Amino acid sequence: MRFKAQIHNITTFTKLTASLNSLGPLAWLKLSDEQVCFTIIPEQGTQVWAVLSIDTIFDTYAVQSAANNVINLEVPLGPLHRALKSALNATSAQIRLTKKDHIPLLALTIATTSSNNSYSAFPAAGNRDHDTMIHDQFGGNRETIITQEVPVRVLAPDTVSSLHEPQTREPDVHIILPPLMQLKSISDRFTKLALAGARTSSGAAATTTRLDMAANMHGCLRMSIKTDAMSMSSVWTDLANPELDPSQVANGDIGIAEHPSTRMKLLGSADGRSEEGWASVRIDGKDWGKVMSVGRLGGRVIACFCHEHALILYVYLPTDGGEDESVLTYYISSYSA
Amino acid sequence: MVVLSFTLTPEAASKVHDLLVCLGKFSDTVAIEARRERLVFTALNPSKSAYAAVTLDGRQFFSTYECAPSHGSPEGRFTCSMYTKALLSVFKGRLYDPLGRDGAIDRCEVSVQDRADETQCRFIVKMVCNQGVIKTYKLTYEAVDVMHALFDSNAATNRWSMNASAMKEYVEFFGTKTEMLDIFAGEDGRAVFKSYTEKIANGKEILKHPLVTAVAVNTSDFEEFKVQPGLHIVISVKDFKAIVTHADTLKTSLKAYYSHPTRPLQFSYGCDGLLCEFTLMTSGDYSGGTAPPTPAPAVIPQLASRATSRAAPEATADVRDNRNMPPPTEPASRRSARRQVGSRQPLSPARLQDDPESLFVNQGEEEDTQWEPVDYNNEEEALGWDASADRNTGNFATFQDSGSFSRSDGVQGNADSMDGIAPTQRVSQIKGLW
Repeated sequence: MRFKAQIHNITTFTKLTASLNSLGPLAWLKLSDEQVCFTIIPEQGTQVWAVLSIDTIFDTYAVQSAANNVINLEVPLGPLHRALKSALNATSAQIRLTKKDHIPLLALTIATTSSNNSYSAFPAAGNRDHDTMIHDQFGGNRETIITQEVPVRVLAPDTVSSLHEPQTREPDVHIILPPLMQLKSISDRFTKLALAGARTSSGAAATTTRLDMAANMHGCLRMSIKTDAMSMSSVWTDLANPELDPSQVANGDIGIAEHPSTRMKLLGSADGRSEEGWASVRIDGKDWGKVMSVGRLGGRVIACFCHEHALILYVYLPTDGGEDESVLTYYISSYSA
Repeated sequence: MVVLSFTLTPEAASKVHDLLVCLGKFSDTVAIEARRERLVFTALNPSKSAYAAVTLDGRQFFSTYECAPSHGSPEGRFTCSMYTKALLSVFKGRLYDPLGRDGAIDRCEVSVQDRADETQCRFIVKMVCNQGVIKTYKLTYEAVDVMHALFDSNAATNRWSMNASAMKEYVEFFGTKTEMLDIFAGEDGRAVFKSYTEKIANGKEILKHPLVTAVAVNTSDFEEFKVQPGLHIVISVKDFKAIVTHADTLKTSLKAYYSHPTRPLQFSYGCDGLLCEFTLMTSGDYSGGTAPPTPAPAVIPQLASRATSRAAPEATADVRDNRNMPPPTEPASRRSARRQVGSRQPLSPARLQDDPESLFVNQGEEEDTQWEPVDYNNEEEALGWDASADRNTGNFATFQDSGSFSRSDGVQGNADSMDGIAPTQRVSQIKGLW
């Protein structure tokens, strides 16, 4: 079992681990010849299934194993993120799977030329002896090498074979979300106000907050929250509802014609005032805040609403014109009213 | 009766704040020892594995400094102990602010009221602020005998020094919650600082194992690096972090001196009349598990000669006599016992909580763990402080409570030297005692 790669996009990798870490401490990392998959299945809350093309973060990537060159690992995201953070100013960073004292590790080897190296650029003559002079001569590189060892667990193929990506029915509404920073700051404020209201009115009772998210096929997104004391709602209009690709839908054009979203198009209006045509879900405000953490990656986000059932977010990572797209899929199930 | 009074500039007062923050990471009490020409803050951690001393030079550090210890003892000194937090609530952060904003002071006047004709003994701090506001704090203190850890820098043939800011950058790479730091002198021109945790975990627990971080630094990035190649030495990473963080506030170079594992290691740095010395317990070669290399000074002749040339001659002459010295007589337990039954109760916690502005040493979760005692189960490692009989190199450190040896106050070796805190007694003079 071998895995070794150069990390060529440290910033993306660091942001990715930070976003995933907000949802759960452990990730299932699946490395194969074609792609890199991160999956977070927390005990409660949103699941993430991320599929990355190899060149999104890696370079000179090599993976080998007896099981069709697939390696499954359980990775603690906190330490991994911490390790990657020390590589932010690196000139090069390498990651590989290794073993020490029978404990499997992901070892990161990071070379930096930090500002440190200049401190003793002009050494006092009296301070040095022959040894250091010799090192200067054949050492040549002035880099500081940092190694970070993240303990991991190797998962057997049987263990992961029981894990399946959630299946959902065809969504009623799909829509491109407004900038996540905007969305997050408003949803955070809603949640905060609802929590504060709950605390003053009913003591320690309701500590969960339910956000109502809804969208229609006319470019409208509505976020609202209701408590005993208040009711707030924000509506975005003029958002885009992407067209479905017949090649991606079962039964092609017929499938599209019968698609729930086609029916939803007939209902509602573009100003968001109609009560018809909304597909809505009820989600946990705090959990939503964790999901929004993915905004730091700056991807395009398509939200698919299955009315009263689930909200699925597809986060497309920006690529430099590469063909393979990297997608993070968030499965958020709706609470019943 | 004791006379001790001194005045601090705002800069110096803010340095006192910084050093108290640092000492607070080792112990919740700080001991103050005043002599005619200098003032020393010391702290010893609960497990007695780390000792910190900050020496403030009477003329250089203070604007005015006057100390006349009681006439009873010839080389008199005034010693007391206080809660670090209590002092920190007086020496707050931002005492020095060129713009004169909130909290800034004009000067700080400190005096000790310890007279037979007064009913109260107090440590009095006057913060003279701008606009003629004077804040006066009267702190209670406990009279204690101050212990010093002795460190023989002559035996410490391994030494390096590095810019503290550079070292701080390396320390920031370390993962949180690690316990140990292995300093390794590689044979390829690199020094490796490795933070790790010695815990045996299995199954799912493996994933909770803290990050292991190794930073390999070119020895040419050090200002000085003379360490026996292949030597591992292990200290507590929390202590190291605390030291590096404080050294960085002074923008100075951090110097390390050590001989070999299980022998004490000393960090020292300082500037402008302030000298910090930390004597830390070390443990052995972590990766090998075998006997640690024991470099006798003779192995590296040029280093040894270097060391002796700098050393005070009388100290090296006495090295061999050292083996006759028995272990110290549990000064530690006596000290703690005295603290419990002490007649003068240090500042009450209620008083501390009353002050909303008090800057208690960081209460964050991460910092919280720094208050936890270091657990060194391995008794063999703890021998680092012991002066056991099978010693054959060096005059190594030991704790000596001067209270138990009344004569020890008499001699102050090379007291003025900034190389180290002077031993309270010469080894040669102890010889006759046993």
